[in-house]
Amino acid sequence: MIFSTLEHILTHISFSVISIVISIHLITLLVNEIVGLYDLSKKAMIITFFCVTGLLITRWFFSGHLPFSDLYESLIFLSWGFSIFHMVPCFKKEKNLLSTIIAPSVIFTQGFATSGLLTKMHQSVILVPALQSHWLMMHVSMMILAYAALLCGSLLSVAILVITFQEAIQILAFTKNLDFLNKSVDFVEIKYMNMNERNNVLRKTSFYSSRNYYRSQFIQQLDRWGYRIISLGFLFLTIGILSGAVWANEAWGSYWNWDPKETWAFITWTIFAIYLHTRKTKKFEGVNSSIVASIGFLIIWICYLGINLLGIGLHSYGSFTSN
Amino acid sequence: MCHMMSLRSPMNQCLLKVPTFHPLFKYNRIHSHRHNTFSFTISCNLKNKGKNNSLLSQKIVLSESSPPPLTQDNDDINNGNVPASSKNQKGPYGVVKKLSKKVLQILSNLPLAIGEMFIIAFLMGLGTFIDQGEKPEFYFQNYPEDHPVLGFFTWRWIFFLGFDHMYSAPIFLSMLALLGASLIACTYTTQLPLIKVSKRWSFIHSAEAIRKQEFSESLPRASIQDVGTILMGAGYEVFLKGPTLYAFRGLAGRLAPVGVHIALLLIMGGGTLSAAGSFKGSVTVPQGLNFVVGDVLGPTGFLSLPTDAFNTEIHVNRFSMDYYESGEVSQFHTDLSLLDMDGKEVMRKTISVNDPLRYDGITIYQTDWSISALQILKDNEGPYNLAMAPLKINGDKKLYGTFLPVGDVNSPDVKGISMLARDLQSIVLYDKEGKFAGVRRPNSKLPINIDGSEIVVVDAIGSSGLDLKTDPGVPVVYAGFGALMLTTCISYLSHSQIWALQDGTTVVIGGKTNRSKLEFPDEMNLLLDKIPEIVESSSLSKQTDSMVG
Repeated sequence: MIFSTLEHILTHISFSVISIVISIHLITLLVNEIVGLYDLSKKAMIITFFCVTGLLITRWFFSGHLPFSDLYESLIFLSWGFSIFHMVPCFKKEKNLLSTIIAPSVIFTQGFATSGLLTKMHQSVILVPALQSHWLMMHVSMMILAYAALLCGSLLSVAILVITFQEAIQILAFTKNLDFLNKSVDFVEIKYMNMNERNNVLRKTSFYSSRNYYRSQFIQQLDRWGYRIISLGFLFLTIGILSGAVWANEAWGSYWNWDPKETWAFITWTIFAIYLHTRKTKKFEGVNSSIVASIGFLIIWICYLGINLLGIGLHSYGSFTSN
Repeated sequence: MCHMMSLRSPMNQCLLKVPTFHPLFKYNRIHSHRHNTFSFTISCNLKNKGKNNSLLSQKIVLSESSPPPLTQDNDDINNGNVPASSKNQKGPYGVVKKLSKKVLQILSNLPLAIGEMFIIAFLMGLGTFIDQGEKPEFYFQNYPEDHPVLGFFTWRWIFFLGFDHMYSAPIFLSMLALLGASLIACTYTTQLPLIKVSKRWSFIHSAEAIRKQEFSESLPRASIQDVGTILMGAGYEVFLKGPTLYAFRGLAGRLAPVGVHIALLLIMGGGTLSAAGSFKGSVTVPQGLNFVVGDVLGPTGFLSLPTDAFNTEIHVNRFSMDYYESGEVSQFHTDLSLLDMDGKEVMRKTISVNDPLRYDGITIYQTDWSISALQILKDNEGPYNLAMAPLKINGDKKLYGTFLPVGDVNSPDVKGISMLARDLQSIVLYDKEGKFAGVRRPNSKLPINIDGSEIVVVDAIGSSGLDLKTDPGVPVVYAGFGALMLTTCISYLSHSQIWALQDGTTVVIGGKTNRSKLEFPDEMNLLLDKIPEIVESSSLSKQTDSMVG
C-alpha cells in the first residue's frame, strides 16, 4: 500500500514538474529569454530526475528485482534516461538546446507510461525464468539508455530538417528550376544563395551558408549536439546488443536467433551506423545525415514499441498482451 | 571519401636523427624568428614500392640552414633492402593486379557501402513482416495472386526471392557477403593507410592555412613555447619545429574505427563458421531416462564434423520446477549425468534456464518441459504409470491430461476418471460424469475417493526439454564482440589536432577535431586564456628561456 501511494505521489510530482518545465521552455522560446526562468527550469528538471529515480528505486525495492521486466518499467526507465541526458550537459554548459527537446520527450514517455493504456501493468510482475539473469541489468539498461540517447539525437536531426525544410526539399528534389518567387521574404535569402551555388547544391556549404549567421550557427549547434549524442547512443546500443547476444547464448541456445526484436535492434544499429558514415564525408553531411537520423527515429519506435505491440517473438514479455 | 590514400601513392619517409620525439627536445633561442633559427627539416623520401609498402619509419633531419618550407624530395631513394619491384609487375599478373585494384576501389566506395547497409536493413525489416519458415500453403493463402499486397507482391515473389526464409535467402546472404567485402576493401585501402598517415605529424607553415582551420585564433604577444607547454599540460602530444607547432590528442579515437571494422569482420567470420560448422538438436526426455548426444544432434552445414564427445550418454536424474508463492513457475531444473562409453560418470550438473551445461564443445540448454506420466495407486494397487498427453486449449499455458478407465474397459463407451495438470504441483481430478472431484498434490499421500475407487496420486513425472548444440564459431564471435565493444568505446574519443605558428610576436593557432566539435572551441579558449602575455618585446628571448627551462 505504501508502495503504491509512494509511486503515485512520485509519478504525479514528476509529471507536473515537467509540465512546468515545458511551459517555461515555450515561454523562453517564444518570448525573450529570462535568466531566472531558465534557472528555474534547470532546477525543475533536477527535481524530476530525483522523482523518477525515486520511482525506480521504490519499484526495485518492493518487487525485489530490477525494474526492467515489462513495458511500463522500461518506459519509466526511458524517461529516467532522458532526464540523465538532460542533466549531464546542464552541468557543463550554461545553456543548451537539448532541454527544449528532452523535456517534452520526458513528459511524453512518462505520460504514456502512466496513462490508462498500461494501467494493468502497474503492478510489478514476477520474472519469467528466462529473465532471471545478471545480464538483465546490463542488457536492458544499455538498450534503454541507447534508445533515450538515440531518440534525443534523432529528434535534434528532425529539428534540423524542420528548420531547413526548404533546403531539404530542394536537395531531395534536386531540381534546378525551383521557383522561389512566391515564397515569403524569409526565403529570398535562400533563393539568392541557391542562385549562387546552384551547381553544388549538395555541398555542405550550401547547407550552412545561409546569410543569417545566427540561423546557421543554430543549425550547426543542433547538428553537432545531434552527432555527439547519437555517437553516445550508438555506443550504448552496441554494448546493449552484444550483451543481449551473449545472454541469448546462455538462455536461448544461440547468440543470434533473428527474433523480431533482435532484428529491429540490428536495423536500428545499421541505420545509425549509416548516419555515422554519412558524417564522414562532406558530401552527405548536413541535411542528408539528418534525413538518415530521422529515419532512425521512426525505426527506434518500431523497435521499442512496434514489435511489442505485435507481441511476437521471444521478447514477448515486454508486450501489451502478456499478463 | 573512401580512398583518401590510394595504394599507389608513395609513402613519405621522414628521416630522423634526433633521438627522441620529445616535443621540446632541442631548444633554441629565438632572437628573431626568421633568422638564426635552429630548425628541423623533414625530408620526405617518396618511394614507389607497389603494394608492399614497408612500415613507415620517421626520420627528421636536423639542419642548421635557414628554414625552408616542407620539402618533398621526389627522388627515388632506395634503402637497398627494398627492391624496386614495380617494374617487374607487367604482363598477366599486372592485369590481374590492375583489375583487383579497380575492384577494391569500387568496393571501398562509401556510397556503395551505405547502399548495401540500407538494403540489408530493408531486407531484415521485411523478414520480420513476412512470417518466416511457414508451409507453402500459408503463403498461398496470405499473399494470393488475385489480391496482391501493394498491388504486386504475391507468393511468387516470396518463393522466387526466398523471402520465406529471409535470413538464409541467397539475396540476403549475398548482400551480407558484399558488405563484408566492402568492409575488407575499405579497411584495406582507406583505414590501414590512415593509421600510417595519422602517425605522421604534419606541420603547417603558413598562417593562412592555419586560419582556415575549424577553430583559429591569433594571440598577440605570445610565444609558441608557452603554447606548447600549455597544450602538453592539457594532455596533448606536442611537436615543435622552429616557429611551427603541431599537437594532437586522442589519436586512439581516430584509429579505433579500424578496430571496429576488423571486429565486425571477425563477427561475420565467426557467424559464417557457426552457420557452416554447427550441430543442433532438441529432445524431450522424461525424468529417469537416457539419450545419446549424437542421436539428437544434427549437422547444420558442410563443415559440421562430429567429435568423440558425441558418444556421451546423458541421463536425466531429476526434473523439477520452482514456483513463486502465487503459483507461477519461477525456474526449471534438470539434474543431468554425463556418462562416457564405458558408463562412467564424467560430469554431473543441475542445469536451469540461463545456466546451461558445457562439456567438450557441447552445450545443453534447459528450454522446455512437459509432463510425461502420472504415477497413481488405485485401491492400494500399483503404482500404475498413466501417460499424460498435452491438451490444446486457448491461451499460452500448458495443460496435460490423462484418463483412468473405470469399470468394463472393453465396453464401447468406456468411462473413467480424468486427471488434469498444469504443472507438477497439483492434479485436478474429475469423476466419470465429468464433475469436479478434487485436487491432490503429488507426494501428499492423501487418498481421494472417486466413483467408488480410492486413488492416491503418488508422483507426477515431468520430462525436460533440452536443446543441444555445438558451435565452433562462438569463440570467434565472442572475440569479435569484445573487440567491437572496446573499439566502439574508444571511437567515442575525439581526435584533436592543433597547429600553431609564430608570426613575429603573434602566435597564430588553429585546430580541428573530428568528434567533439561542440566542446572543442570552449576547451581551446580555456587553454588559450592560460597562455601568458609577453609584455616586454625586447625581453622575449629571456622569458621564453626561463619558461621552458
